[in-house]
Amino acid sequence: MRHIPEEELHAYLDQGLSRTQCVEIESHLAACSSCQATRDGIAALRDRTTALLATLAPPRTIPPSFESLRRRADEAVTARRRRLHLLAWAASLVLAVGLGWSASVIFRPRGGGSFAEGPASRAVQAHTASRLDTLRAGQPGAAPSPIRPAEPTQPERPAPSAPQPSREPRRTSAVRSVAYPTHADSTTRRPDREAVLSVLNTQPAPELTKLDSPRSSGEDFDGMWRTMSWDGAQAEAGKPLPHIDGLPVVQIQVQNAEGTRPVMVVAQQLASGQVIRTIEGSAAEVSQLLARRTMTDVDSVQLRGDSSTHTAAGAAAIDPSHSMAMQVGDRMLAITGDLPSDSLRAMIRRINAEMRSK
Amino acid sequence: MNEELEALYQSTYTAVVRFLYRKVWDAERAEDLAQEVFVRALSHKPEKPRAWVFAVAANLARDEARAAVRRRRHLTLLKGDPIAQPTVAPSADHAVEHDEQMASVQDALNTLTPRDREILLLWDAGLSYPEIAAQTGLAVGAVGTTLARARRRLVDAHDRQHSGTGTDAAHS
Repeated sequence: MRHIPEEELHAYLDQGLSRTQCVEIESHLAACSSCQATRDGIAALRDRTTALLATLAPPRTIPPSFESLRRRADEAVTARRRRLHLLAWAASLVLAVGLGWSASVIFRPRGGGSFAEGPASRAVQAHTASRLDTLRAGQPGAAPSPIRPAEPTQPERPAPSAPQPSREPRRTSAVRSVAYPTHADSTTRRPDREAVLSVLNTQPAPELTKLDSPRSSGEDFDGMWRTMSWDGAQAEAGKPLPHIDGLPVVQIQVQNAEGTRPVMVVAQQLASGQVIRTIEGSAAEVSQLLARRTMTDVDSVQLRGDSSTHTAAGAAAIDPSHSMAMQVGDRMLAITGDLPSDSLRAMIRRINAEMRSK
Repeated sequence: MNEELEALYQSTYTAVVRFLYRKVWDAERAEDLAQEVFVRALSHKPEKPRAWVFAVAANLARDEARAAVRRRRHLTLLKGDPIAQPTVAPSADHAVEHDEQMASVQDALNTLTPRDREILLLWDAGLSYPEIAAQTGLAVGAVGTTLARARRRLVDAHDRQHSGTGTDAAHS
């Protein structure tokens, strides 16, 4: 007669066998005293094991309430989101070329603090260096233009000063004739360089007034915009214009609200022909502009007008444009373009690196 | 799901703490990790919470042990001593007050292979054969065999320490 193997008795006593197997074993046990003895021995072994292991126990404590764990779980989610927002900030740089932002105030995560000096930004500089070199390598040659560009240097400057009273506060201004200074070659920033004129025909903006000329390309931003020359815009702004060093400028637009500093948009053209725009203005206005552009990105962060509390503008997908924004104090810089976020990010990082090295 | 998790928490928290304690040998740490496991369960909402909880607990404990080994290795290298073997036994820097009995059981437990030890501890924590099989990758039919061997070895090792006489090797 076949006896029950020990392993099976262990499993039987552990209730690890199927009903059928149990029935078989029980019927055998009923008839086999040898197996009964084995079973008893194994039962004792099991009990001894349990007793021995029971000594390996910490002092019993009262478990914390489940509610407290729920709270911890909620905090963990919030902390994770906060970390992601911080990463978005760190990653989403905005160009401040020409504005002389000091490096230590570049990053402004929620809650203050600055990690402009952090290892992340340093690592990023190396990455962007190659990216922008690639972009620059493909710059188009100088195109004819009667306009001479202003000196496109980026001297060290303190934070931008308050708007001049001479500036027109009205929103409704006629669109002036367009002048397109360019900066085809960043290495020789001579004011007498020949400028490149290239006008891009982009989609018409729904909100622009009928004053627009067909060539104006401020369409992506609502509100009313004045297109200006480089000199004009610079004079009006009273400070250097935000732009990417080395790319031809195709348009400059300025928008004034009552009593505030103007928001400026500098459109530049890449070698591929795509246009990118650098936006600079008060945090409230720029963030509003960007927020209105974002439509379907469910992950985009809600922007608040109050710059003192502020967080990420995030990389909003505006089909197919992307934008990156950075807040510095109560100002905000953004760059938008029909490029993948990675390209924009790389460009921004490179510019940021250049800017910080000044 | 939350009610299910809460019920599981109430019924298994102690077992999870004990399970972790037998790996990290630090009561406070075991409690922290056990709570961490349930906090994560609240976020992940696993389909099979019981098995998930012990699997995560085992992972957390393993990560702790690795970190501890790295620390020990770092220290021993500095001191010029040979690298300490990572074992289940508590290291000297743990302020564990354990009596002799606990120590001898620990020693006996250490004579098991890591796999056998794990399966024995999972069983002692209250997991069923299918749950143990799922977590360890063992076939359900092999769980009984492993437990039989593990139990036998534990008891024999413990008895050997105390009685000083070897037991019949026919059982192993």
